[in-house]
Amino acid sequence: MATVTYLEAIRQAIWEEMERDSRVFVMGEDVGVYGGAFKVTEGFIHKFGKERVVDTPISEMAIASAAYGASLTGMRPVGEFQFMDFISSAHSQIVQILAKSNWRWGAPAPLVLRGPSGGGVSGGPFHSQNPEMFYVHTPGLKVIAPATARDAKGLMKSAIRDNNPVLFFEHKFLYRRVKEELPLEDYTVEIGKARVHREGRHLSVITYASMVYVAQEAADILQKEGIELEILDLRTLLPLDRDAIRATVEKTNRTIVLHEDTKTGGIAGEIAAIINEEAFDSLDAPIVRITAMDAPVPFSPPLEKAFLPKVEDVVREARHLLKY
Amino acid sequence: MATKKIEAPTPASPESKSQSVNGSKAMPAHTGAKSGQPPVSKNPHGIPDWRLEQLPFHIESEWGDGEYRYKIVGDTSAPVPPLRPSKYLGKEQTIELFRYMIVNRRMEAALESMYKQSLVIGDLYQSLGQEACSVAAAYALDKDDWLGPMIRNQGSMIVKGYQPRATMMQYMGKGDSPTKGRDSGSHYGDPKTLNVVAPISHLGDSIGVLAGVALGARLQGKHVACLGYIGDGGQSTGPTYEGFNFAAVQHLGVVLVVEHNSWAYSTPVELQFACKDLADRAIGYGVPGVIVDGTDANQVYDAAHEAVQRAHRGEGASIIEAKFMRMKSHAMHDPAQYVPAKVKEYWKRRDPIARMEQYLKEAGWMTEAQIAEMHAEVERFINEERAVAEAAPMPGPEDAGTDVYFDNAVDIPVKYGEVRVKNANKNRKLSESSAPGHYK
Repeated sequence: MATVTYLEAIRQAIWEEMERDSRVFVMGEDVGVYGGAFKVTEGFIHKFGKERVVDTPISEMAIASAAYGASLTGMRPVGEFQFMDFISSAHSQIVQILAKSNWRWGAPAPLVLRGPSGGGVSGGPFHSQNPEMFYVHTPGLKVIAPATARDAKGLMKSAIRDNNPVLFFEHKFLYRRVKEELPLEDYTVEIGKARVHREGRHLSVITYASMVYVAQEAADILQKEGIELEILDLRTLLPLDRDAIRATVEKTNRTIVLHEDTKTGGIAGEIAAIINEEAFDSLDAPIVRITAMDAPVPFSPPLEKAFLPKVEDVVREARHLLKY
Repeated sequence: MATKKIEAPTPASPESKSQSVNGSKAMPAHTGAKSGQPPVSKNPHGIPDWRLEQLPFHIESEWGDGEYRYKIVGDTSAPVPPLRPSKYLGKEQTIELFRYMIVNRRMEAALESMYKQSLVIGDLYQSLGQEACSVAAAYALDKDDWLGPMIRNQGSMIVKGYQPRATMMQYMGKGDSPTKGRDSGSHYGDPKTLNVVAPISHLGDSIGVLAGVALGARLQGKHVACLGYIGDGGQSTGPTYEGFNFAAVQHLGVVLVVEHNSWAYSTPVELQFACKDLADRAIGYGVPGVIVDGTDANQVYDAAHEAVQRAHRGEGASIIEAKFMRMKSHAMHDPAQYVPAKVKEYWKRRDPIARMEQYLKEAGWMTEAQIAEMHAEVERFINEERAVAEAAPMPGPEDAGTDVYFDNAVDIPVKYGEVRVKNANKNRKLSESSAPGHYK
């Protein structure tokens, strides 16, 4: 076992997969000699050669479409978007070409498009977004957003080994802030399975990525009041783990859905609908959504703090729900 | 249906020297008298222009009688020049290529008849007048090479190995169509055997895909040519630039055939781009460019052949601008009344099949009777294909939502061989990243 950050876990996953399978290669902006803006691919070019560590022009469109083209020849590309905000520049390729590929013309597209998303670092409106829902709404894709180093590594390996286009939303706030001991041996984490991050009896917080830690802080506070939160970390957003959502609601009968993405059209609405379909009779209280406000992500720290969901929001809503 | 073509003969005078055009490498030019070729001109930016005539008119919009309309500026009465003799195509190949053009045309004529009988679902996109460009460009590809067609390039897909029934069934939404009724028209492909990238409606999006195919093949030690088409309208999109720039900078063997068919739906080229020749863009990309007459199959083939050979040598991407006109409307719903009648007449006299027939007869390669027999034989073949397509079943409802994801239990093999890299330090270990990065 060795202590590894969330960022290093992703580096290790890609490195080990490239060692294991010569079909895997990386492409993106500044990924070569520079090693990437966040250093996920630092040192890769020396180990694997410039053919397998491809520096691209500044074109997310080219990264997505060329990664897809290479996948048609049996390669398994891992494309990096320097910030996931820039995925919008490759939107057409992802939703029109990649996502429909197997269904439309029987062309499987085993590729991963990955990069840092999320706020809390004063990145401003173009370096802090959570654009995952555009893609959760696109059949044919898989969408992953891990919260822990262990999951980041195991899910990245699963994503690379998957025969479908996988979008991997890393959280930049977590890159160097969370770390844990990871097994030295090869392991994977199954795509499409949520994880109970913390067991509890009174109320479920269904969440993912950095909001897992907001829920955790709230749980610590509420524990002192005798309130036990159960935290369900979704890990995969497409496909959603309906069984795990049902199970936690049936256990606690009260639910908060918490996410860093904005509210309208965020995944909380979808999860509320799933609960409605799967576990309506188990509910003792309305489902509460805690999300970022419906606004672009602001730059200045006081504004971003106001924008993002906070621990006190979870504590307040949990107390309220338990009195319902 | 004739099987795949014979290898192209080596050119009589191999041309290895290339000329510098504003920093880019030009295609080897025809050498005029040396190979019996008419001389090649150059456009004002040094791009070789293989055409034997210049377009003597252009379109302008005009205000008159309380309406806007398009008018012709210039003369449309010029006589039709002969085809430029091919440097590479012999008799057998020329005849085979000619047959593909007839198959292309008669397949679409059948589709039009099927449309009028309400057998076609939705709209129908035709390529009348574009058969030489579609067919001759694809004819330059080898089996391992890839094709990236657009909506009107159903002729190129036949050259690559599909039967006409494939496109017919696509248009009828049949369950046995290549996409099982999930998509229409030329929107199909095959990554395994025929190496055709299924087009999408978004213009230019396939170009980066073709670059990626060439990248994947190169990682496996194989230089393939990936020939794609884009229109005078489609080339305005961002994906065209971004995809082709990636191919150019990575020296990937993408052959981009810019089909300057004069109309983007209803918009004339005069409202689409400000430069005179789209091949000029080759200079900006840093790749060779050439202009050809898109109704002259010999010019299209020769330019495509040279670009494909360049791709096979690992020398990178090329642009071919083929100028001609879309002789049908954008699709069946569109009467195309915006096209001035004299422009249509000008291009009708330049029908690619009629010009090729003239060439074959003058070369003594086919007689009038042989040509008529070929038309009749193709007509019979198309009728058989149509019967098969019409008899095919419609899809069942179970096919709507299956195959959205591919089975993870199946191993997807590499197409061309083991991945190889030139220089790599295999013994290097992954050490913790210590370099400064964003938001450390």
